[in-house]
Formats: sequence, C-alpha cells, structure tokens
Amino acid sequence: MGTKEKILDVKNLTKSFDAKIVLNDLSFDLEKGEIFGLLGPNGAGKTTMIRIILDIIRADHGEIKIFGEEFDESLKERIGYLPEERGLYQKITVLECLRYFAELKNVKKSEDKIDFWLDKVGLRDYKKKKIEGLSKGMQQKIQLVAAFIHNPELLILDEPFSGLDPINTKLAKDILLDLKREGKTIILSTHQMDQVERTCDRILMINRGKRVLYGSLDEIKSHYKESLVVEYEGDLRRVEGVKKIDDYGKYAELSLEEDTNQQEVLKRLIEIVGVRRFEMKAPSLNEIFIEVVENA
Amino acid sequence: MRKTFIVAKHEFLATVKTKGFIFSMILPLLILLLMVFAMGFIPQTISETETPQNIGFVDETGTLQTSDNFIKFGDVGNAKKALLENEINSFFVLPANYLETGKISVYLKGGFFSSRPTSSIEAFLMDNLLRESDLDETLKERIKEPANEEVITLNEKGEVEEKSGVGFLIPYVIAFVLVFAIMSSSGYLMQGIVAEKENKTVELLLSSMSANELLSGKILGFGSAGLLQVLVWICSGGLILFLTPFASLFQGIQISWILILAIVYFILGYLLFAGSMACVAATASTVRDAQQGAGIFTMLGILPMLLLSIIVKAPNSVIAKVLTYVPYTTSVTTLMRIALVEVPIYELVVSLSILVISVLIMIKLSAKIFRTGILMYGKKMKIKDIFGYLRE
Repeated sequence: MGTKEKILDVKNLTKSFDAKIVLNDLSFDLEKGEIFGLLGPNGAGKTTMIRIILDIIRADHGEIKIFGEEFDESLKERIGYLPEERGLYQKITVLECLRYFAELKNVKKSEDKIDFWLDKVGLRDYKKKKIEGLSKGMQQKIQLVAAFIHNPELLILDEPFSGLDPINTKLAKDILLDLKREGKTIILSTHQMDQVERTCDRILMINRGKRVLYGSLDEIKSHYKESLVVEYEGDLRRVEGVKKIDDYGKYAELSLEEDTNQQEVLKRLIEIVGVRRFEMKAPSLNEIFIEVVENA
Repeated sequence: MRKTFIVAKHEFLATVKTKGFIFSMILPLLILLLMVFAMGFIPQTISETETPQNIGFVDETGTLQTSDNFIKFGDVGNAKKALLENEINSFFVLPANYLETGKISVYLKGGFFSSRPTSSIEAFLMDNLLRESDLDETLKERIKEPANEEVITLNEKGEVEEKSGVGFLIPYVIAFVLVFAIMSSSGYLMQGIVAEKENKTVELLLSSMSANELLSGKILGFGSAGLLQVLVWICSGGLILFLTPFASLFQGIQISWILILAIVYFILGYLLFAGSMACVAATASTVRDAQQGAGIFTMLGILPMLLLSIIVKAPNSVIAKVLTYVPYTTSVTTLMRIALVEVPIYELVVSLSILVISVLIMIKLSAKIFRTGILMYGKKMKIKDIFGYLRE
C-alpha cells in the first residue's frame, strides 16, 4: 500500500477554539482508491478536521497536502463534500438547485450529468419538482448527487447513510463501491460501525482531538483479544471471568479476563442461560470503539 | 471571481422573482401615479366643470360698476334672497364709509364647498378704484400686480444658486428612494445569509468557494437587485412625471449630476449597510435574531429621514453637517443637502472619503466575521465572541 499515490497527507494538525483544543497534533494520510473510515465519538473533532481539509476554517498548526499540492481554491473542484450540517434550497426545483451547485463546481453541460445521477438514485421524475415537496430521504439523495455531480477524485462524506431506509442505504453503499472501482478515494465519517467494518479499507479514529486508532481493520483488530459471541435465551447479567458484556438481549459479545479459559466460561453460561450459538471471534469495531472511548 | 458572479446571478434572480421584491418595486410607482392623478388632473377637471362664481354686491358708496361675474343688488335683502336661491355664490356690502375704513362685509352660504372669494373681490375693487384715477395705464397695471416674483438664493460666497420652484420636492424624493433602496437590498442580503444558515446550504457552498467569494457574490447580487429597483423607480417615475403637466415644473433642474452622485452614494451606502448586515446575519441563527441585531443599523439608516425637516429648513446647520460626516447617514444627508444648497466641494470630498474608508474597513471586518460566524449553528453570539473572531 505504501507505494500508492497519496491523495491526502495531513501532518501535525492542531486547532483550538478559545482554550479548548479540538485537534491535537493529528497526522494521517489517504491513499488513492481507498475507502477511509473516519471515526470518533460526538465532539471528537471529525467535522473540524474535515472543514480544515476544505479550508473552510484554518488550522493553528500543521500541514496539509491534497493531491500532492498545497491547498488552493481550485482544488475544491476536485473534491466532493457531503456535510453533516446539510440542507437544500427549499423553494426552487431539483434541477435549479443541482444546476447551481454544478455551476459552482465548474461543470460543463450539467444537465446531462444531473439526468445521469437522478436516474441512478431513482429521482428522474422529480427533476422539475420543488425541493420542499420531497421527502427527507429523497432530499438526502439529492445532496449525495450534489456531492458527486462534478465527478470528484476525492469524496468526503459525513454521515451519508443517516436518514436513509435500508433500501436507500444499500443504493448509497453500492454507489460508493462503484466510485471506488472507478479509482475515487472516499472518506467516510460515520457512527455506523457495521458499515465501516464492511466497506472501509483503513480507518482513523479520533477521540478528544487525538488519534487513537489508525490503520487497516485487520491490523487494529490484531491488537485486541478475541471476544466471545453468544446467542442465547434467558437473562444474562454477570458471568465470572468475564470483564465486560456488550449485551443486546439475545446476542452478546463478551470480553474475557486475561487468564480465563473459554471452556470454563461456556460451562458457566450454560448454567445461567440457554446457549444457541457460541463462537470465538475477533472483536467487532463497535466493541473496540466503546473500549477505546471508555478507557480514554 | 467567476464563482462570485455565479453566486451574484443566483441571488439576483432568486430575489427579483420574489413577490415581495416585485411588490416593493411597483408599489411606490402606484402611489406616485395616484398622487399625479390626485394633484394634477382632479383639480383641473373640477375647475373645468364648475360654473364660474357669481358674486353679488350692495354698493352704498355708489361708485362700483358691474362687470362679468359681479351683479349689483339694491339692498341686502334682495342679495340674501339671491344667495339662498343659488343665483349667486356670495355677495359683499360696501358701506358708505368704505374709502375711509376699507371695511366690507362678505356673505357666504355655509357648507363644505363654500370658499371665500377674497382675491376676486379685491381685484374687482381695485379695478373700480383705479378707474377713477388719472394714472397712466402701465402704472395702473403695476399697482394691480406690483410684484411678479423671481426668487434668487445666494450661497455663502454670494453666488447665485439656481433652484426652481419644485426643488424642495427633490430632497424628499431622493431621501425616500435612497433610504428605501439601501435598507431593502441590505435587508434582502441579511435574510439571504440567515436563510442559507437556516437551511444549512452554506457549508456545501463553502466546499465550492471561499467565504469571501460567497460574501462578495451575495453583496453583488442583492446590491444589483437594489440598484435595479432604484433605476426602475427613477426611470418610470421620471416618465410618469414628464408625461404629465408636472413636466414644466422640473424644467431647469440639473437632475443628471445629482443622479450620478445618487448612484455613487447608493453603491457606497449599500456596501456599508450590506457589510454591517452580513456581520449581524452571520452571527445570528434565526431571521428574528438577525432582525433584532440589525435594528441599530436600520435606525441609523433612517435617522436622516427622521431629521428631514431640520435638514430641509437648515441644510447648513450643525446637525446636517454632523450627519454628513457620519458614515451611516452621510449618503442620504449629503444628497438632500446638495438638492437644497450648494455644498462646498471639500465637504463632498470629506463625506465620500469617510464613506469609502468605512466601506473598506467594513468589508474586511464582515469577511472575517462572516467566515467564522456562518458555521456556528444554534449558538447566540456575544460581542466577546465577535472580538475573538477578529483575532483569528
């Protein structure tokens, strides 16, 4: 991976608002063609970091290179952005709205591209409709189109799946994978750990402005002990030899204490609940996330 | 720059298509049209249809001769009867000692439309008095009309100021048009910024251009809409006035250079208010918040209107001069003063310089505050925060 072209290179990024340090000496890079997960609890500094990358706000210290270059306004035409705080003009039509965004990104013959993307997200019939008449999910898809319309090389998507039903989530995910196949690079900032686990090549997790996890999922998981997955019926509360239980009612992920034997735990479990499945597996990203944040 | 123009075009088209804009463009014209009709045509039609006034008189001196509309009565009783039967509109009694005292009694019928025929009676009496004298005809004419006035006003240096009769109207019109145009277009700008903040399109826009490009595009777009409004008013207002009997009143007024100055003052005044409103809008989270914050600027903007009568009465008074040097009031005040008196060139230069410098400072200031404030959602801004932004 090291030989691949670097799309983004962030070094020692620091930013504070008043006395509060929001980003603390953050460094990472982005390789061409990868889907890169950006994780962190609310208020960790993800949005601030994205805004600094786009020069919407300025960092106190640090260096950023995009496509190997220092930031320049013209680079914005090569980046697509779906902000977390997002909305559309309500009083104009879908076409007028997208045409305006496309014009700002210097897209020629924008209507062809608008048609192409509206077809792709299944909203071609709504082209001449006013935005205020569209459902929340439809508006979300229009916002995605606004981020894709200029065929950007780098896409920064902040919570792209929030507000989408499972069908539209699948549609959005498929589009992202298509874009990845075309060689686009995607930063995916989300709280949906399962999505990250299934789609991202590498991740960066920030907590309180600091980098706490960085690398491929396999690398990261190799640093964590396997956990025990149980599907059960009954009441699972405390099991001897288990450090922590991430319980969902019928499904639980158990982190074992250092010197605990798995077979011992299984015996104890059978005494308490009806076990339907029992499996050792690498910890999920969700578990790692919770552990990292709680232990911080 | 390209993106500035795209934003400007978008905002301009979005604004001029709104009902509010179209309404505010047409409404003053409708009012003007109504005024023209009310002032110009109605009195004319009334005087055309009305029968000329018949005035009766009872002459106890025995010197008056009847003429066109003046009917002689033998005694007051007959005259009263004629008045009550509407044969005459009024009558007067000239007592025997009239020449010594000059006193006469005028009788009218009560009612809304009755009016005292003073000037007609005076002219009639004067005719009769002069007929008896042996003065020559020219002198008689001069006595009848001793002063055919032409008023010449001098400025401080003793030079003649050429102003004609309706000159006094111009400052009111200028003040109204300028204040309305500046306040409405900067008001549109403020609403436009807050609306984008509320509908959260602003961050998407900032991923396509810099905050400065966005702000200048908006200022340009809304300003053009305001300028369009002014031009439509001036052109169609001018057209309405020049196509009516009012045209003659405006002859001899040097509109052209006042118009050029008006446009310069509009642009500078608008930029100053636009910058101020942008600061308010960027730091507010709802339109209501923004309107509250903008109150102080609105007050400053209409201050010259509130002090209009003082400025018109004494265009060179201390108040008028102070307002000339305050950036927020100088546009309207200076233009009103120019319409009234000769404003010394140095005052114009100082006023324009103060305005230009204020505009430059305001643009820098608003760009900074806009850049930082625009992405602060749902947070009320304090003055302390604003100083914080300026340091960044």
